[in-house]
Amino acid sequence: MAFEPKRPVKEINYAESRIYTDAELNNYTEEELKNFKVKHEIPMLEELEKGPWPSFVADAKRNALHRKKLADGRLLLDKEGSEDLLGLLEQSFEEGETHWKHGGIVGVMGYGGGVIGRYTDMAEKYPSIAHFHTMRVNQPASKFYDTNFLRTICDLWSYRGSGLMNLHGSTGDLVLLGTVTEQLEPIFFELTHVMDTDIGGSGSNLRTPSCCIGKARCEFACVDTQELSYELTNHYQDELHRPAFPYKFKFKFDGCPNGCVASIARSDLSFIGTWRDDIRIDQEAVKAYIAGEIKPNAGAHGGRDWGKFDIQKEVIGLCPTGCMAMEDGKLVIDNANCTRCMHCINTMPRALKPGTDTGISLLCGAKAPILDGAQMATLLVPFMKAEPPYDNIKELIEKIWEWWMDEGKNRERIGELIQRVGLPKFIEVLELPPAPQMVKAPRSNPYIFWKEEDVIGGWDRDINDYRKRHKR
Amino acid sequence: MEIRDVILDFAENSKKTKFYFKDMEKAVQAKMPGAKMRDIKKAATELVKEGIMIYFSTGSSTMYGLKGRGMTEDPTEGDSE
Repeated sequence: MAFEPKRPVKEINYAESRIYTDAELNNYTEEELKNFKVKHEIPMLEELEKGPWPSFVADAKRNALHRKKLADGRLLLDKEGSEDLLGLLEQSFEEGETHWKHGGIVGVMGYGGGVIGRYTDMAEKYPSIAHFHTMRVNQPASKFYDTNFLRTICDLWSYRGSGLMNLHGSTGDLVLLGTVTEQLEPIFFELTHVMDTDIGGSGSNLRTPSCCIGKARCEFACVDTQELSYELTNHYQDELHRPAFPYKFKFKFDGCPNGCVASIARSDLSFIGTWRDDIRIDQEAVKAYIAGEIKPNAGAHGGRDWGKFDIQKEVIGLCPTGCMAMEDGKLVIDNANCTRCMHCINTMPRALKPGTDTGISLLCGAKAPILDGAQMATLLVPFMKAEPPYDNIKELIEKIWEWWMDEGKNRERIGELIQRVGLPKFIEVLELPPAPQMVKAPRSNPYIFWKEEDVIGGWDRDINDYRKRHKR
Repeated sequence: MEIRDVILDFAENSKKTKFYFKDMEKAVQAKMPGAKMRDIKKAATELVKEGIMIYFSTGSSTMYGLKGRGMTEDPTEGDSE
């Protein structure tokens, strides 16, 4: 089914929406930049410019010089924001403590997320960053942009903000760094009415959903991750913008088990495209790989000579469940034992393809906090179909949320709640049957607790009588 | 008594000037045992829209508060707890 936007998509035309001329955008030379000194001493930050990687310090200096050279009235914020920001950071490096205060009350009308109040406690010394609020902008699915959009948002942020951005935050949004309270509503108006986009999630909200490149450009995509992300973003607008969760909640969508957005590690609810039939095999192409006629990994490791392709060593021998073999010159796969590691498909993409009965695996509970430990997601549903209007998925999401909102403590992620009460309780609430895929090593430790009502006929056992014969 | 009245009563009299949604939900359900989470959220959202209550966000989590009580827009100006 072809994708249908929920309403007509507005075309952005930079020629009409631009604020700055080309001359203003290119208003300094590299020579001037080399000689430019910010108004604060920043020796430690300048060390960061000396490494092999691009440095945010160099970028901030460029921004500072560009803003300094713009004519008066061409910026709505103080010109010295980038310089003060660098000065403040240098001071924090010297003192080993931050000078940003924690949170605040800023937002745009009707929204409880997407704007994060940031204030410095050094406003007298660095007045241009007394307010330095962040705005998160909901990125398009898979981060496909039109240059008209990018150039328009850059102009808008230079004019009404600091000109500094982070593309992209770990949730996926475009992160616009640094503006003042009185600019929030005008920026929000421009974003929504002119640029036809929306701000993203923050705080105790559903965070901006994020997906891999999906069927747009990837032959491995088992589900249309962009459509699913778009549908759930629209369907859960209230959860995205009006906070009532115990803490943050993230959706991420991977089209196949390669997991290019790492949903398994970075989202509270991870959607991973998969298949439940057999891996498709083109035996002629397998032979061509063996004969060296097709480069393995689509030539991705072609920078040096790795020798002749050895299917036994490079594919069959690396299968984690040992479910592949060559029999009578043909590659055979015991599909029931395939764990979807994707290695064979990645190595021989012209010979092997995911099956055609596709859907998603649903995993829950990952987090990557700064404090405490990171946690990978736990598998909840080994396979479910993922087709519009995705009612089966929505039903499960809502059950998870309802339980988390009832049982979760303040600032407790769903993964922490599952750890606290146990997976058996969680799957009981969701009315999901226990499955071997939920167990880390089901073959060596297939142990689950059965309740009497789970077992046909139940059981009669007197624990005291048992203990007479079996001491603890 | 309506949900919004209970929320306002809690917001005006709670020890803390900003609180999590769950604390507000518990306070409402203590006085109105049948009150549904969704209805409490709707009432709180309405109060925010009317400018009577405000959101306080650290960026990672969000709290609610009564406008003018305890905190102002700039955390330097009120008791920012």
